[in-house]
Amino acid sequence: MSASLVKRLFASLLTALLASLLVFLLMRSVPGDVVSQMMGQAGGDTAENALRQFFGLDQPVYMQYFNWLLQVLQGDLGTSWTRGVPVTEMVGKAFLVTLEIGVITLLVATLVGVPLGIIAAINEGKPLDTLIQSFNILGLSAPVFWTGLMLLVGVSSVLSWSPPLRFVPPSQSLSTNLEILVLPILSLGLLQAAAYSQFVRQNVVSAMHQEYVRTAIAKGVPVRLVFFKHILRNVLIPIVTFMGLILIQILGGVVIIESLFALPGLGRLLLSAIETRDYPVVQGALLIVVATAMVVNLAVDLTYRMIDPRVRES
Amino acid sequence: MNQSTIRSAPGLLVDSARRMVRREPGLALGLAILAAIVAVALFPQLFTSASPFDIDVAASMLPPSADHWFGTDDVGRDIYARVIFGTRITLSICAGSLFLSAIAGGTLGLISGFFGGWTDQVLGRFVDVLLSFPPIILGIIITGILGPQTINLILALSIVYMPVFFRIARAGAMSEIGKTYVEAARSMGINEPTILRRHVTRNVMPLILTQYMILFPLILQIQAALGFLGLGVQPPTPDWGAILEQGKDFILFAPWMSLFPGLAVLLASLSLMLVGRALQKRVDSR
Repeated sequence: MSASLVKRLFASLLTALLASLLVFLLMRSVPGDVVSQMMGQAGGDTAENALRQFFGLDQPVYMQYFNWLLQVLQGDLGTSWTRGVPVTEMVGKAFLVTLEIGVITLLVATLVGVPLGIIAAINEGKPLDTLIQSFNILGLSAPVFWTGLMLLVGVSSVLSWSPPLRFVPPSQSLSTNLEILVLPILSLGLLQAAAYSQFVRQNVVSAMHQEYVRTAIAKGVPVRLVFFKHILRNVLIPIVTFMGLILIQILGGVVIIESLFALPGLGRLLLSAIETRDYPVVQGALLIVVATAMVVNLAVDLTYRMIDPRVRES
Repeated sequence: MNQSTIRSAPGLLVDSARRMVRREPGLALGLAILAAIVAVALFPQLFTSASPFDIDVAASMLPPSADHWFGTDDVGRDIYARVIFGTRITLSICAGSLFLSAIAGGTLGLISGFFGGWTDQVLGRFVDVLLSFPPIILGIIITGILGPQTINLILALSIVYMPVFFRIARAGAMSEIGKTYVEAARSMGINEPTILRRHVTRNVMPLILTQYMILFPLILQIQAALGFLGLGVQPPTPDWGAILEQGKDFILFAPWMSLFPGLAVLLASLSLMLVGRALQKRVDSR
């Protein structure tokens, strides 16, 4: 088991490396860099060349990549070209915001989605099931930023309330922080709860039609016991796997939601860095995104082994 | 034969439609909405006489009324006309990109699964790299770096879900390889590329088509999101995402600017999802 894990870890690292190379090459394949953006019409050749030399942009691309990689291996993501601040610091700060939104959203989605899915499955074919399924499909169809916009309009016209405009970290004031985050989390959470609920319903329904469930019920085992001991236990594995998938989905959705609600997370950082061609920040932010997705996948894998003895033994 | 069993063709059509509504109401609803949307996309002039481009500053930001069903935007353009004319643009970009994605991903997946070996290793690694980004982020990287032009948008949208088609086609090809008909074809001396093209591809096709329908609502959402971020189709072109992007600055003064294009995305996604699900169910039960 540990050998396969090590192999997976290596494969993940290789993938991350190639992903960073891909982004690196893509960014340098288009005309216009940070220097031409900074100088605009005003720049002369001498000044531009000096700046390019300063940023290392005068070197061949493979050398630029190699130098960047060497830095990263030492735990240094470089310095932002437009703000002069260490990338590690910027990315770290932004990541905390994104992480907070992501984790709370996951919690909301799980707490709403899983029970809804189970209720729908138990009432398969009944009106309640239809109702929940309608919620699911509507939730999945609505664009997440649009849900956010409509929630904003809704609360401001009905409750005459709108979230504070300036972001405040939870360490400063937890209540203000949550006030700011409630709408973004709701709009993301609704979508993911719908996805979760649909997935859980499907799995529970198919488990309920299994032979062993029918046998247990025929043997006279109380239905409640069958549900908790047999059905739920078997459904737990796909539910955990799906949790990882949802978290990665949230990571993507957060980007759009952050730009809508002006939250200083990874998504907004990434967008503004792409706009200003601040390459080190783009690379750094993407590295964190890819690494997070990989850690989530690995964690899912490990949990999977813990819950399912069949996987452990093979 | 009994007289009553002989029916006219339209009668049969009505009958089967009725049966579908009874047995699969979701599919029936999805197909009905989809048919309406396709009609709007094909013949927008039939649904509105207003122009999606005409500026009338005197009539800016008017709420929905009998004259302007969906209200007007910040420069007085009719939002209803913009949403109607945007249908074709939005849907054709999504359909076209997804088609490219299916062709590229499907072909590479078939080759990877059929030939195996180092071809499979290299292609598999490449796809893993694309999969290491959440889809929307991949879209943002490509359109953001290459610049917000429609051609870059199409490129980004066709890359985003290419890995999914790749995996489906690869798995399909691998499961077909071991079947007797492939062995039979080999023993008859038919060369490998021909077997792949004539036999394996044909059997993997239904899987790819189903996936196309499943992914369509997802690509629509990404297209809208990129448009909303200003990375998609640029105004004044009436693309749904672009209309949403324009509306976001006026959300509290003129929410109708965002409400209706968003509803259009929702309705289109909903119908595609309902049809896709029904299709998937049929493929699964086979």
